[in-house]
Amino acid sequence: MTLFSRRAFAAAVLAPLLLVGCGGPGDHGSGAAQDHRSTVANSPRTSGDSSGPAHTAHALRHSAPVRLRIPAIGVDTPVMRLGLAADGSVQVPPITADDQAGWYGHSPTPGQVGPSVILGHATVGAYGDGVFRDLARLHQGERIVTRLENGSEAEFTVSAVRTVAKAAFPTDTVYGDVDRPELRLITCGGPRTGDGYRDNVIVFATLSSTMSSTSP
Amino acid sequence: MRRTVLSAAALACTAVLAATVPAFADAATPSPVATAPTHTATPTPVPTSPAASAPGSTQPKPEPSISEVPEPVATRPTEQGQVSVVPKGAPDTGVAEESSGSGSQGALIGGGAAAVLAAGGAVFVVRRRRATGA
Repeated sequence: MTLFSRRAFAAAVLAPLLLVGCGGPGDHGSGAAQDHRSTVANSPRTSGDSSGPAHTAHALRHSAPVRLRIPAIGVDTPVMRLGLAADGSVQVPPITADDQAGWYGHSPTPGQVGPSVILGHATVGAYGDGVFRDLARLHQGERIVTRLENGSEAEFTVSAVRTVAKAAFPTDTVYGDVDRPELRLITCGGPRTGDGYRDNVIVFATLSSTMSSTSP
Repeated sequence: MRRTVLSAAALACTAVLAATVPAFADAATPSPVATAPTHTATPTPVPTSPAASAPGSTQPKPEPSISEVPEPVATRPTEQGQVSVVPKGAPDTGVAEESSGSGSQGALIGGGAAAVLAAGGAVFVVRRRRATGA
């Protein structure tokens, strides 16, 4: 074997090895969303159930939420306004690297009597984790703070965390009327199915305290 | 000698092609595909009477008119419910990574690399046999 043919042969053998090295990282990170464990506290109260925090906070005026903080899982995010998608489902925040939570604008604002609904992504495709990636790790009794457009703040206490199949989404429990200010945080969870997830993670919380703005 | 060089060149070209095919296939979609419609980020107006029974909500509040995009038809309008329009179905709040696309690319690259390796090994064996006079 001549020197030239040896070099050609070496190039032929080494080429695929280099290619394998380039293509290797393609699937990295795909399992990031699979570690979400459902932490089931108590089952959520149905409308009219009066169990909850010892003290009752006063309801707030209508004012859209602008920020959401969940200290227990390190969430501190702006809140955008969401409506309905063309198919009648609820809109979700856009898929971006710095995704944020969104308040469903047809629900009460946080602190008003009724179920205020805020949604966020668990994962945002190739961007990785979403703002609500750790939502299922919340526990009963942990705090959720929403800051409103008018400067007020409404603090909620987690009463239940549920993971439910999307096929059996509890519409009435989430969107049905209640007799006090409540909050629902919704994201996806459970096993992956194609480009999405099988389940939804829903956090139920009740108003525990408020801090009104100075304006009436 | 010449045949060996040509074989090596052909193998190298095969390896490069195996790598570039998935790269070309992916070039048109550099960003993740959102499952939500394109108007996902479009803010929508909020109903002016969110809850008739809510204390403190009797004062009408001017809502900032961010968008004039009409809302889709309500899927299940509630009668004076606290949630004025109940969405249909479950929220799609988790866009997983494009596992299917990256998986097919990985399979293609891996398969091509394996084929090239096998061919290279065969060439090596032939050359050894010739060198030893077998």
